Amino acid sequence: MKLALKLGASLVALSLLTGGALAQDISIENPDWWQKAGEQFDGVTLRGVTESTPASNYVADVLAPKFEELTGIDVQIETTSWDQMYDKAIKDMEAKTGIYDMVYLEQDIVYAYLARNFLVDVTAALEENADLKAPAYSEDNFTTFAENFRGENGHLYGIPMEAFIKVYLYRKDLFNDPDIQAAFKEKTGKDLKPATTHEDYAEIAEFFTEYGKENNMDLWGTTAQAHTGHPASWYEYFESIAPTFGVYDWGIDADNNYAATVENGGSMNSDEAKAAMKWWLSMRDLAPPESVQSTWTEVATTFAAGRAAQGLVYGENAAWIATDDSKSRVVGDVGVALPPLEPGVMEAAESGEGYIGYYDGGAFGLPVTSKNQNAALLFMQFMALPEIQEDWAAAGSRVTLTSTYDTPKVKQVDEQLGGYYTMLRDDGRLFKGAPPYPFHRQVIEATTPIFYQILTGDISPEDGLDQMAAKTEEELTNLGYRK
Amino acid sequence: MQSNRLGWILLAPTLVILFFFGVVPFFYVLWLSFHQWNPFAVDPNIIYNGADNFRALVFDQGFLSSLGVTIAFVFFAVLSEVILGYFLAQAFMKEFPGKAIFRTVHTLPLIMAPIIVGSIWKLMTTPSIGIIPTVLDDWFGYDLNIGTSALAAFTVTVIMDIWHWTPLVTLTLIAALASLPADPFEQAQIDGANKRQIFWHITLPMIAPALLATVFIRLMDALRTVDEVLMLTGGGPGSATRYLGVHIFKEVFPKTNYGYGSAVSIIVLYLTIVACWLLYAALIAPRNKKA
Repeated sequence: MKLALKLGASLVALSLLTGGALAQDISIENPDWWQKAGEQFDGVTLRGVTESTPASNYVADVLAPKFEELTGIDVQIETTSWDQMYDKAIKDMEAKTGIYDMVYLEQDIVYAYLARNFLVDVTAALEENADLKAPAYSEDNFTTFAENFRGENGHLYGIPMEAFIKVYLYRKDLFNDPDIQAAFKEKTGKDLKPATTHEDYAEIAEFFTEYGKENNMDLWGTTAQAHTGHPASWYEYFESIAPTFGVYDWGIDADNNYAATVENGGSMNSDEAKAAMKWWLSMRDLAPPESVQSTWTEVATTFAAGRAAQGLVYGENAAWIATDDSKSRVVGDVGVALPPLEPGVMEAAESGEGYIGYYDGGAFGLPVTSKNQNAALLFMQFMALPEIQEDWAAAGSRVTLTSTYDTPKVKQVDEQLGGYYTMLRDDGRLFKGAPPYPFHRQVIEATTPIFYQILTGDISPEDGLDQMAAKTEEELTNLGYRK
Repeated sequence: MQSNRLGWILLAPTLVILFFFGVVPFFYVLWLSFHQWNPFAVDPNIIYNGADNFRALVFDQGFLSSLGVTIAFVFFAVLSEVILGYFLAQAFMKEFPGKAIFRTVHTLPLIMAPIIVGSIWKLMTTPSIGIIPTVLDDWFGYDLNIGTSALAAFTVTVIMDIWHWTPLVTLTLIAALASLPADPFEQAQIDGANKRQIFWHITLPMIAPALLATVFIRLMDALRTVDEVLMLTGGGPGSATRYLGVHIFKEVFPKTNYGYGSAVSIIVLYLTIVACWLLYAALIAPRNKKA
């Protein structure tokens, strides 16, 4: 029976990997304008490459066919793995092959692309081609997340298509269970409620992992995105854990000659960074066994399968975890809260000097090598129309226009999700995307071999972070950023 | 003269394809290996740096560690495939009920793309969810976790490779065994040779060319393994399964360290040629000399 259940869980995981949004009816204002604008692009096929995420799958499965229906322009969206998405886009733009007309710009890579002049200035392009500017499109509609995709001239270089925060999800059914609450109180002397400090979070994690064992349940106290061979673990530590201990921007001080070591003015190997690493590793040890092979996707799947009582989960998955009973076993049982913090971190975030977690998302950018730039501009504006946002937001937990927060479906999912969208709107300012470095993957790939050794216990967190900080400075020197 | 021209005409498409997709990329990679090129560096241009990349890789712990685990991977995987493939080929030379079905099923892994093989094994080995850790835990109390145990991860990648590629060895050896003349075997039996003597003095020498070709193919393939392992372990835990192909992939694509990655590629090509030559020298040359 147990075996059958596990086989079933594998099938659920498989279906999540391959699932896509179903076509839905979308009513577009001013369809005649779109039809007329599309006439000049008869026979054109637009090709885009993006990461396979709920929001991107919605673009491929719903928005692209709708756009083709309106304009006659065929749109082929290739949804692939995160690694492949970067690989394909960079090779295409670097080799100037012009295969892709749209590439996914994750918030953390846009600075590298801008530094290499890979992207078309969308603001300028629409000013120069006024006849292509859709009546309902306006840059003023975007949330402040769009600021991530502006160049030094203040112009947009990408149309935001997903934006979410990495939130603290917890199981309301477990946290509100009177018996569990009593057991927790007896064990810790505290009330069971979402943690606001790391100490509280650890106590809850320990309690539920033991509770799962004692009751022969497949339940653990926390999730952990702790893959020992994929940079997802690196991201979880540097973008979601370290900031809650007051270590920002990966511990690299860009204003101080890109210093990473404490002795040169960085904080990658600071005491706070080491404390963060030790805390995170201790949480990893309380997480389900699959956590050591989990990226962001598997963490969401683990939570959706009801295998963790709490965890930090990318917001793009929050909606389906809370509402889609064809994929999730915890529908209606999901609560949302701000991540646990060390003292002083919230104050730093409120004042704008720090942040409490990761604000992720992405845009569609138009490569300068595209052979169909004008047609691509049309599709990118289409993605930013207010009338298509509601279903998209409900399906992909993403909001890029301020008006989307007030739509009925988003309000409904917000209730089911314990206020996720409200948190995104009101507290999004406390979160921050990746630092604006043009060398993301280079530093990550240079340091992950050491990072993985910390995870496997081959080296201590202290020695590992010392080595990583030194390696970062060495790599940045090789790349010419550190003088 | 006429047939010579026809031969060149027939060969031309292959030669053209080989030139553009084999020779040109090879010389491009060779040229790049003497340059520093990272498009995300402050200076994104291609800069000549002599033999610096080759000098650097001699002291690169990451490369040396990859080389070590790759040699171990190739040794265990290819040796197991050859032995297992030979016994399976011998089995398929005999008649038994369900032989046709078994032979077809046994060949199925061969037609799968490596990335699919990696995905299947990832699903099967995910700790506490996959079928393999579940069965090992339920039946033997063994906790298989390829995310934490370097040995387990290494072993699973070897088994995955064996599962994927043994059918190739089997098919090649079936062809070789089927083409052997019956006379020498009958003669040996008449002379009273036992099974071991027949295998060692007749079968092995006669299938040696096919066997060696198969080993060369598998050796070259195993040395450049990427997709399956990348999908299954990502090269982890730590760098336990960061085989040379994975190492090159990570240097060249995510890290965009094109010059250095090219240098590692050239060295791996050189090592592959040397390994094949050593194998040839050890197994075939002495026999040729004797003959």
